[in-house]
Amino acid sequence: MKSGLLILGALALAALAAPIASAALGHDPFLPDLFNRFAPPSAAHPLGTDELGRDVLLRLLHGARVSLAVGLAAAMAATVVGTAAGLLAAWKGGWVDAALMRLADGMLALPALPLLVILAALDPAAIGLPRGEALSDMIRIAGLLALFGWVGVARLVRAGALSVLARDFVRAARAMGVGEGRILRRHVLPELAAPIAIATALAVGGAVLAESTLSFLGLGIAPPAPSWGNMLANAQEVAFQAPLVALWPGLAILLAVLGCNLVADAISRKRR
Amino acid sequence: MKRWLIAFLFLVLPAMAQGRDTLTIGITQYPSTFHPNIDSMAAKSYVLGFARRPVTAYDAEWRVTCLLCETLPTLENGLAVRERTPDGKDGIAVTWVLREGLRWGDGTPLTTEDLRFAWEAGRESTTGFGPAEFYRSAYEFTAHDARRFTIRFDKVTFEFASLGDFAPLPAHLERERWRADPRAYRSRTLYDTEPANPGLWNGPYRITAVQPGAGVTLERNEHWSGPPPHFRRIQVRTVENTASLEAQLLAGQVDMVAGELGLPVEQASALMRRTGSRFHVEYKPGLIYEHVDLRLDHPALSDRRVRQALLHALDRPQIVARLFEGRQTVAHSTVNPLDWVHEAATRQYAHDPARAVALLEEAGWRPGPNGIRVNASGERLSFELMTTAGNRSREAVQQVIQAQWRAVGVEARIRNEPPRVLFGESLSRRRFGGAAMYAWISAPEGVPRTSLHSEEIPSAERNWAGQNYTGFRNEEMNALLEALPQELDREKRRDMWRRLQAVYADELPALPLWFRQDAHLWPRWLEGVRPTGHLNSSTLWAEEWRAR
Amino acid sequence: MAGALILRRLAQIAVTTAILSLCAFLLIGLMPGDPIDLAIAGDPRLSAEDAARMRALHGLDQPLLARYLAWAQSVLGGNFGHSRLFAQPVSALLGPALLSTLELLGLALLLAVGAGVGLGALAALRPRWSGPVQALALAAQAMPTFWLGLLLIILFAVTLGWLPAGGAEGGWRFLLLPVVTLAFANLAAYTRHSAAALTAALAEPHIRTARAKGASEARVLWRHAWPNAAVPVIAVAALDAGALVSGALVTETVFARPGMGKLIFDAVMGSDFNLALLALLVVAVVTMLATLAADLIQRWLDPRLA
Repeated sequence: MKSGLLILGALALAALAAPIASAALGHDPFLPDLFNRFAPPSAAHPLGTDELGRDVLLRLLHGARVSLAVGLAAAMAATVVGTAAGLLAAWKGGWVDAALMRLADGMLALPALPLLVILAALDPAAIGLPRGEALSDMIRIAGLLALFGWVGVARLVRAGALSVLARDFVRAARAMGVGEGRILRRHVLPELAAPIAIATALAVGGAVLAESTLSFLGLGIAPPAPSWGNMLANAQEVAFQAPLVALWPGLAILLAVLGCNLVADAISRKRR
Repeated sequence: MKRWLIAFLFLVLPAMAQGRDTLTIGITQYPSTFHPNIDSMAAKSYVLGFARRPVTAYDAEWRVTCLLCETLPTLENGLAVRERTPDGKDGIAVTWVLREGLRWGDGTPLTTEDLRFAWEAGRESTTGFGPAEFYRSAYEFTAHDARRFTIRFDKVTFEFASLGDFAPLPAHLERERWRADPRAYRSRTLYDTEPANPGLWNGPYRITAVQPGAGVTLERNEHWSGPPPHFRRIQVRTVENTASLEAQLLAGQVDMVAGELGLPVEQASALMRRTGSRFHVEYKPGLIYEHVDLRLDHPALSDRRVRQALLHALDRPQIVARLFEGRQTVAHSTVNPLDWVHEAATRQYAHDPARAVALLEEAGWRPGPNGIRVNASGERLSFELMTTAGNRSREAVQQVIQAQWRAVGVEARIRNEPPRVLFGESLSRRRFGGAAMYAWISAPEGVPRTSLHSEEIPSAERNWAGQNYTGFRNEEMNALLEALPQELDREKRRDMWRRLQAVYADELPALPLWFRQDAHLWPRWLEGVRPTGHLNSSTLWAEEWRAR
Repeated sequence: MAGALILRRLAQIAVTTAILSLCAFLLIGLMPGDPIDLAIAGDPRLSAEDAARMRALHGLDQPLLARYLAWAQSVLGGNFGHSRLFAQPVSALLGPALLSTLELLGLALLLAVGAGVGLGALAALRPRWSGPVQALALAAQAMPTFWLGLLLIILFAVTLGWLPAGGAEGGWRFLLLPVVTLAFANLAAYTRHSAAALTAALAEPHIRTARAKGASEARVLWRHAWPNAAVPVIAVAALDAGALVSGALVTETVFARPGMGKLIFDAVMGSDFNLALLALLVVAVVTMLATLAADLIQRWLDPRLA
C-alpha cells in the first residue's frame, strides 16, 4: 500500500508542481527553441530537450496533469456509472437487472479498441464539443474510456450487492422500517467500498495506458498540450534519433500504472 | 540447449541474404485501385509506373515527353491543327502515332482500338473516370489505322500535346465488362478483380500478386517491347508507420524507400547521418507546395497588411534549416523556382519582426493585455491555426509558427483534425476558423485555377466543389487564370505568369512556406533511378534501373 | 441442457450483432467528410458536376436510415458490398485478414497462457520467486504495447538483425515478434490468476494426501492442483478475448502486418465505411463466439457451474 501510494502521491505532486518547476528552471515548456533541439541532459534541462527544443522534464510534469486527469476522470466516471448500474440491477432485480446485465455482457464481449477507433474518429462537434482543443480532447477521451469501463464495475457491484442484500442485518433493517435509500447508502455501499476502490485504482492505470494507445493511433490529445501518451507517440517517430526522449514518458506511464496496481493489490491484501 | 540455439540461428540468419535480381521497395501508402483511369493518388502512380505506360508524361526535367508515341504533336510539325469546332468554338485536332510493336502482357497488340475504348468509357459519365474535364473537351476520336489516332478538343490549351492520365485500356479484356454495365464497371474491372491478369499491363513489369493493404509483387513482362529491365522481380511493400519503415530499411527487409511516398526529409537525413555510406540519398525538390491558407472573410485576416505582417513574422529559412536540415525550398508564391515560369523578381518577405509590428500598428492593432494585440473596438488579434492531426512534422512546424506569431502579438489557437475531417469538411466546406496549413501537389506549369479563381470558392450551390478555400476574389487573377491555359505562345505566357506571381505575393491569399523535397533512399548498388519531383513518378523509367 | 444454453447464447449474439450494426451504421454516418469530399481535396481538377455525379454513383445522396436498410438487406442477402479503399469486394478482404489475425491471436494466447501458467506455478511452488514473477507481471501490464513492439524491433531487427521488422510474407519468422509483443501485454492476468489459484489449490487437503502418498512434485502440481486452478484461468481468457483483439490492432499497426485490426483502422481513417462496419461486426462476432467457447470449456471443466 505504502509504495503504491507513495508513487501515485509523488506523481500527483509532480503534476501540481509543474508551474513551480517551470519558474524554477526559468523556461517555458510550450515555447519551441529551434536552436536547442534534442539537447542532452544538462543543468538547465535535467532530462534534455525534445524535437522542438522544449524541456522534457517540464513537459513530463505538465503531461502528468493531462494524463492523470484523463485517467482519474475516466476511472471516476466509470466507477460512478458502474456502481449505480450495479446497485440498481441488484436492488431492482427483474427485468431491470436482466436488461442491464445483457447490456453489460454485450459490451464486455465487444473488442474495445476497434470500437474506440471508430468512436474517436467521430465528429465531436456533432455532440456539441469544440473540435481539437485540449480540454475537449480530454473530456472526449475520458468519456470514451468510461463508456467501456463501467461494465466491469457494474458486474462487480451487482454481485457484491446481491450477497449483502441477502444478509440478515439487511433483512432486519428492512423489518425495522429503514428506508431503501438508507439501506443502500448505509449498509450496502460500505461493504462494497474495497472492491470498488480496487476496480477504480486499476481503471486509472488502464485509462493512462489507453490514452497513450489512442495517441499512438493519432486519436489522442492534440498538441501543443503535452500528455505522456502523445509525448511517447511523438518520440517513437524519432526513436532512432533520440531514444532517450522516448524513454521518459514511457517510464512515467509505467510508474503510474505500477502505482495504481500496487494500491489495488494492497487493498485486496488488507481485506483478506 | 546449445544445439537448440544453433538450430535457431540457422533458421533465423539465412533469409537476410538476397539476390540482386529482386528489388524490394517500401512506400507509405497502398493504392486504392489499380485501374489506370480511375482516381489519382501517389501510391497508384508509383506502382503502375512499373506496369503500364501512358501515351505521354512529364519527365525528370518537367517537360512533356512521349512514352508510347513516336513524336510529340506540335503546331510546327503539323500533328496539331487549330480549327473551328462544329458549334463554332476555337478547337484543335491533335494526332499521335503509337510506337511500333507495342503489346499487352498477354501478347495481344496494343492498338488505337484500346485508346478508343478508353475514350468511349471516359465519355460516358456513369463510368466514373477521374477528371471529367478532359473527356468533356475531347469530343471526337478518330483512329486512322492501328497506330495513328486523332483527338479533337473543343478548346485550345498549351498542354494539348499531353494526354495526362488518359491511358490505353485493353479493349480485348475490358470492353465487354464495361459495356455490360458501365455503372458497375468500377467494381467489376479486371484491374481490381484480377490484377494479376497479364493482359492488363503494357509496361516493363506486370503485377503478379497483390496483398491488399500490404504489398504488390511485379515481375518482368515478356511482351515488353522496350529495353529489357534489369530486375526479375520488384516487390512494393506498404508500411504506413514511418518509424517501422525505417526499421525495415535498416533490417534489410526493404532495399529502398521511394521518395515519392517515403520518409520525411528530416528523418531521412538523420538516418543518413547514423548509417554513413550504407545508403544513397537523393533529395529531389518537388511540386508539393506547403502553405498556410488564410480565410479572407475573417475580420482581421481580410486586411492585406495583417497577412503581410504574418509572413514577415515567420522565419522560414530558420525553420527549414533547423527542422528540415535545410532540405526544403522556401517558397515566395505558388510557383516552384524550378518551374520555367518562375519569376525570381517576385516580392519576397524576409523575416522582419519590426516590419511585421509596424504593419500591424498601421492596420490598427495595438498591444493589448497578455501581449496579444487588440483593435480600436477591443477585439483580440486571435484566430485558429489548423493542420492535419497525426502529421508530426506539420504539427511541429505549426507550434513554431504559433510561437513566432506570438512574438509579434498575434494569437494562433491550434486546432487540428485528421486529414479525413480537415479536407473532407473543414476546408472543403470552408469551416476553418482562420488559418490552415497543408500542401498542394501540382503538375509542372500547372495553372492554379481551382485554388485561386473566384468561381472556385466552395459553396452549397456548387456542391462544395472547388478549392479556393480562402475565398480569394481578384479580377486580375481571374483574367490571368482564364487566359493562361489558352495562350500557346511561351513568351506571352511567361509575362502572364510573372503577373500572377506578383498579384499572389502582394495579396497573399495564402502564406507560402516552402516546396517540399522528397528524400529518395536507395542502396549503393542501385543505379539509374531518376526522381521527378511530380506525380509522374520515377518508376515510369524503371527499365533504366540497374544493379551494380 | 448444454444445447439449449448454446442456442440461447447464439440468439443473444445475433441480437447484439444486429443492435451493434445499427448503432455503428448511424455513428459512422455522423462522421464528417464523405469520400467524395476527400477525392475533391485530393484532385484539383474535379468539378462540381463530377462531385454530384460521384455522390449519386455511390448512393451518398440518400438519407441515412434508408442507406442502413438497403445495406442490411444486401448484407443479409450475402452481398457484403465493395471496399472503396481497396477496390475489392469486402468479402475477399475479410477472409485473409481474419485468418492472419486469428493466427496472431491464437499463438499469442497460447504463449500468454503457457508462460503465464508456468510463471504462476513457479511463484506458487517457490515463494522465493514470487516477488520477481509479480514484478514481471506488473511490468507487462504497465508497458504500452506499441512501445514494447518498437523496443523489440529496435533490438531484434535493427540492432541484431535476427528477425524481420515487420510485414507478413509468411513463415514463423514474421510472426515471432508480433506474437511475443501481444502475448507479453496479456501475460499479467494469467500469471496472477494461476499463481493465486495454484497457491489456493496446493493448500487443499487432497494435495496433502497425494504428497503423503509419495507423488512427485510435478505430478502433484499438474495432476492434482492444476485441474482445480484451470477454471479461473479460463474465465480470465473468456473475459480477455476483447482485450486481445484490441492488442492485435496495435500490434498489427506497429509491425505493418495485415489483419482485422489494421483493416478497421485503415478503413476508418480512409472513410471506407462499408469495410469498417463489416470488419467491426466480424470481429465482434468472433470475439463473442470465443467468449462463448471459453464459457463452455469452463462449464465442462467445472460441472458445478452448469
